[in-house]
Amino acid sequence: MADKPSGKAASVDREAKLVDPTQGIPEPSYSWRGLTNEWGVKVLPGAHGLRLGDVNVGSYGEVPDYWADQTRRPRGSVGRPGIPPLPYSLRSKHELWADCAADLYEEAIQRRWIPATEVPWDSLEVLPVDIEKAVCQMCTELSQCANTELEIITYWQDRMSYGYFEVKQYLATATFDCARQQEVLRKRALSNGGGLGIESRGRVNRIILESSGGWTEAVVYLYLLRGTYITRLLSGLLSAAHNEAEVFIYSHMLEDHARHLTYGYDHLKYASSHGKDATLIMQTLLAVGEGHMAAELNEGVVSTAMAIIFGGGIEGARTHGMERYLLLVRDFITDYLAICQELGIEREKTLHPVFKRYLENE
Amino acid sequence: MMVVFPSEEWFQEVRQAYNSDQGLHSGGGGACDTTAGFKVGEYWYFIEFEGLECGQVRQCTEQDLEATDFILEMPLETWQAMLKDVQANGKASSNLTLNSIDLEFEDGIARSPIDDQYRQDLFYRYNQNFQDFFDASSLVETTFESQA
Repeated sequence: MADKPSGKAASVDREAKLVDPTQGIPEPSYSWRGLTNEWGVKVLPGAHGLRLGDVNVGSYGEVPDYWADQTRRPRGSVGRPGIPPLPYSLRSKHELWADCAADLYEEAIQRRWIPATEVPWDSLEVLPVDIEKAVCQMCTELSQCANTELEIITYWQDRMSYGYFEVKQYLATATFDCARQQEVLRKRALSNGGGLGIESRGRVNRIILESSGGWTEAVVYLYLLRGTYITRLLSGLLSAAHNEAEVFIYSHMLEDHARHLTYGYDHLKYASSHGKDATLIMQTLLAVGEGHMAAELNEGVVSTAMAIIFGGGIEGARTHGMERYLLLVRDFITDYLAICQELGIEREKTLHPVFKRYLENE
Repeated sequence: MMVVFPSEEWFQEVRQAYNSDQGLHSGGGGACDTTAGFKVGEYWYFIEFEGLECGQVRQCTEQDLEATDFILEMPLETWQAMLKDVQANGKASSNLTLNSIDLEFEDGIARSPIDDQYRQDLFYRYNQNFQDFFDASSLVETTFESQA
């Protein structure tokens, strides 16, 4: 029998065994070392820092037209055999791509804002009750639009291949923008003696959420059709803001929304020039969508709320308030047709009769 | 020191006022990178925003603006009305902001020199930066061309 250490020596030996950090861990192989598609990459920050698009160099910057890989493998990394596929169904570039996505991602994270502390809430003052009701109704309406946008993006985001990570990351910021819009609109409605108004019938929200033919179809409805209208609503609300809080809210919402439209229009431009029959499909979709949009325009909740805001009350709403709203709708349809034309989508000849009527309004 | 609007000197003074105090920047709290032009009466101006600052502003020719993202064009009286309002109130009143003026004109006030919607949309994405810039002119003692 070997001699056993005794006394103090035995105690030190036991402690050493207890704290041995490698005990039970197999000898590391480091076999993963050197497994790379491209090594030695050293991108330096430019005048604007190190942006997402800046590191799209060499093989890392190659964005294929079709991404066959159904795993979460980061673009440019080495694939591992045997990884079970994930349900990424959007694997063609034309189904989601926009060249501006990486830049928009950077812009979104740089231009973030905080409703809780940055909106000058103390500038809110009591408004005539009809105006407060109209403002709160618009908050209710726009909040549902933001919620619809958030839900349809997240629905499709889950299906987008990792090969196009710029788009996935940009859309993550768009969903955050939507959450912030819901937050700030709710806060505006509940901070000046009013409250939320009546729920929208949501005709257009429904066609957006039910656009199951692909992300491009959703973009047609979400941004080209309804988003273009929302830009005009936000511009109108900003021009008629009652206090500094509303100026801050609407101006920041407008800037965020403009970024969303930039992605939307840019994606449709890419899709229309790379997808088979894409503009014809968009034309068909819009013919259907205009009908729903026309019905929503005729419903009267938004129109009267906006007319009250523009007219400074119910009396003014009946005259110049409604006139101004009708001009807003006319401007929306003018913008919509101009963008359709730029994308090569024929809409003018077969424009929905209700749209035509608004367009003829002078 | 009193400076005349429109003039390169006036735009330089505003640039200095805008860059000297980030408290004047309410436009989203982030970077703005764009180039634009202004048509003021018979004069043309080039402006560049770089990150959190106005990088440069100078008088130029119409041809110099061909590579800009967008051009803001409105009659001299409208420019003057907006800036007189800024002088009087410290910032543009709601009916005289760039956004409100844009709504008043049938074709808007922003256009892309090469008819590129993507670049023209930068006016909307950075609208408040431009408004902040012109609001900073409240710090510049201004006289207007017809009064000079």
